Amino acid sequence: MADGGGWRPPRPCEVYRAEWKLCRSARHFLHHYYVHGERPACEQWRRDLASCREWEERRSAEAQRSLCESERARVQATRKHTLVWALRQSPPADWHLPLPQEEKDQ
Amino acid sequence: QLQQQHVACQVLPERLAEGKPGQGFLSSFFTNNQKCQLMLLKTLETNPYVKLLLDAMKHSGCAVNRERHFSCEDCNGNVSGGFDASTSQIVLCQNNIRNQAHMNRVVTHELIHAFDHCRAHVNWFTDVRHLACSEVRAANLSGDCSLINEIFRLHFGLKQHHQTCVRDRAILSILAVRNISKEVAQKAVDEVFESCFNDHEPFGRIPHNKTYARYAHRDFQNRDRYYSN
Repeated sequence: MADGGGWRPPRPCEVYRAEWKLCRSARHFLHHYYVHGERPACEQWRRDLASCREWEERRSAEAQRSLCESERARVQATRKHTLVWALRQSPPADWHLPLPQEEKDQ
Repeated sequence: QLQQQHVACQVLPERLAEGKPGQGFLSSFFTNNQKCQLMLLKTLETNPYVKLLLDAMKHSGCAVNRERHFSCEDCNGNVSGGFDASTSQIVLCQNNIRNQAHMNRVVTHELIHAFDHCRAHVNWFTDVRHLACSEVRAANLSGDCSLINEIFRLHFGLKQHHQTCVRDRAILSILAVRNISKEVAQKAVDEVFESCFNDHEPFGRIPHNKTYARYAHRDFQNRDRYYSN
């Protein structure tokens, strides 16, 4: 991640733009208010879009750092709550097994 | 309005021993079972919420097979569907699901339970907190509590009403499958709410409509690119 060679932004610039547009839409304001009781914060998407474009035009190291940090913060935000259950290391053993015979007979 | 009272069961305590195909009262070509199958097929092929969930489950090692993991049956009461953890099967109540939009929502709701079963050790039968968590997530992420649906139920509220709806519907769903008091169910929901309301896997966000679901699916398909940063 430190060097620019072969690195690309976490998302294509069009995606940052689409997310920013969605965030700023009236519909999203309504949805967000309905869920959280406050207005949405869209500034970070705008910053990321600007950084992405800067990276595309000038390969700016600052833009790269900013994008990485932003994405890391988003991932961290999803992991801040302790889960109620323990995650599995492998799927349930019986997921693919055939149904019990009496179910099949119906 | 009857439809709006339907609650999705997490696990059906008893499925009807012999389902018989329902006959529509109106003149129709299809039995309830056939209608259910057709609507299910359309959901699986076109609905962005469901397509993301199917992808996520495949990625977790639980590829979904329509014939093995779904069953259209007649159900008691006004239940819309349920996830049967003991047989790894989603039951769709063919006598209670009347239209495509409802089918979309029920399948999404039950697939969220199936997804939780696949990725975590969920003690469905022995820990009401685990059950509560999956019900909170399903109510939150399936569209059950969208503003439109709540208005149809004549539940009016705007500011943060979504959270009220999620709590209420999670409690209803728990009471539909567990012989416990409303207070116990409420306590379980309260205890897990903070964590489970904010667990948006596999969507990464609350999908308020199909646009959000499509964006979420795009993000899921590109997750390797995000996480490598």
